[in-house]
Amino acid sequence: MRAIWTGSLGFGLVNIPIKIFSAVQDSTLDLDMLDSKDHSNIKFKRVNEKTGKEVAWENIVRGYYLNDKYVVLDKSDFEKVSPEKTKHIEIKHFVDETEIDSMYFEQPYYLQPEKTGIRAYSLLRDAFKKTGKAGVALFVMRDREHLCIIKAKEDVIILNRIRFAEEIRSTEDLDLPSAKSKPDELKMAISLIDQLSGPFDIKKYRDDYSERLLKIIKAKSKGKAVPFTPMKVVHSKTKDLMEQLKASLSDKRKAS
Amino acid sequence: MATKEKSEIKIGKHVVSITNRQKIYWPDEGFTKGDLIDYYDKMADYILPYLKGRCLSLKRNPNGINDKGFYHKDAGENAPSYVDVFKVKSESNGKIIDYIVCNNKATLLYVANLGCIEINPWNSATKKIGNPTWMVIDIDPSDKNKFTEVVDTALAAKMVLDKAGVSSYCKTSGASGLHVYVPLKNKYEYATVRDFAHIIASLVQEQLPEITTLERSLNKRGPKIYIDYLQNSGGQTLASVYSVRPVPGASVSTPLEWKEVNHQLSPKLFTIENIFQRIKKKGDLFNPVLNESNSIEKVIKALTV
Repeated sequence: MRAIWTGSLGFGLVNIPIKIFSAVQDSTLDLDMLDSKDHSNIKFKRVNEKTGKEVAWENIVRGYYLNDKYVVLDKSDFEKVSPEKTKHIEIKHFVDETEIDSMYFEQPYYLQPEKTGIRAYSLLRDAFKKTGKAGVALFVMRDREHLCIIKAKEDVIILNRIRFAEEIRSTEDLDLPSAKSKPDELKMAISLIDQLSGPFDIKKYRDDYSERLLKIIKAKSKGKAVPFTPMKVVHSKTKDLMEQLKASLSDKRKAS
Repeated sequence: MATKEKSEIKIGKHVVSITNRQKIYWPDEGFTKGDLIDYYDKMADYILPYLKGRCLSLKRNPNGINDKGFYHKDAGENAPSYVDVFKVKSESNGKIIDYIVCNNKATLLYVANLGCIEINPWNSATKKIGNPTWMVIDIDPSDKNKFTEVVDTALAAKMVLDKAGVSSYCKTSGASGLHVYVPLKNKYEYATVRDFAHIIASLVQEQLPEITTLERSLNKRGPKIYIDYLQNSGGQTLASVYSVRPVPGASVSTPLEWKEVNHQLSPKLFTIENIFQRIKKKGDLFNPVLNESNSIEKVIKALTV
């Protein structure tokens, strides 16, 4: 694992030097696009829509379409709005972890202390665990400011990026029912829910799409056939044929 | 008026007269009858083992690939002395047919000169005419099927044959299909081999009911791949391995490694121009079809649950 960010995490007077690692990995297979004819890799080019000619990176600018024309932005424009570059994450306040709606959650990261921060790191982690609280903070990565919560999970402190409120759409455009359910039906539904309730065990659910796809890839590379459906070898149709085949073999023995 | 070009090819003590070498057989590619004869001349060492001792059903296309051509079985009577002949009594009308038996290179070039683009040997050799050397499944798509579906069908056949515990070998038909062979070393009679093929074909069809059929009638077949097991009979023939086909591109029926039977395979990949390069690299991949043996008794055990 490679650290993607180095800096410090602070709350109050404590300052912990840390490294940030991504906590997630992609489970989908990395497939390449190829030309079916000769398996050459497919390459992308940035082309001018009008001329169809390739445009070099240094000639590409970014623009925003406003009032029927493009306003082109240059580097200094971006710098004006960039957050102050900082390698410090300051926890501003603490909340109950359960208060945060799952809709807000984005990418999670692991935090690892540098040698000089080990004791402070353990202290913060244990305090998180004891209180069930999560810290709310802002941090700057790749020229953008992100909102995040910081919490403990077993031995590790986790930084979970969360969305800003304006990233969540309103539901006012949806057509949602307002009628109340009948008490009997509600009772029935609740008892059904109770019946199917149990502790949440993420390991029960597996995304085996990639696994199955990989199986096919491996079989294909060896030239093996991939089973399409479970094969029942002797159907009633073929049973008769099998009897016929047996008979023809014994005929042969008689003849010879 | 074009002059009738004549030439001779000497093979040992035999002299094969070749006519009309310049005649265009493949108009799009410009390949001539001479190119065809040169191909078989060059390919003789590879294709002859699969023809030796076998009757040929001649499919003659003397005007090239755009002419439908005609079948000619009773071709032995007027053949030159180096051509061996085997008499077979026709089952349909009791007539005696003089089949050409391809025992040497001169015979191969003689039939090529008759306009046989395709070489169609029997599944059995004359010394044991009732017992085929191999079982064959002909995977024959309609023009609505994609070749990837043909490949899937061949792979399903491979799976069924693996399950049956027999070795199997695949070749391109040279046209639009694939042929799957199971070597049997002429241990069984045609009727037994045909029943065996019927079972395998039904099991394959059950695997891929959406895209395959055992329906023989062209009208009832629909847009499906015909899994043809009926070629396992005396007198029935398929284009031999290394046979050219009378189709655009001058493609050749080419043995494949099973790992090559995948969705990247193209049915007309191998032609009279490029096949020699492949053989040089891969050797004769079809050789086990002549030398290996499989047991149908064991198949019955393996497939009976």
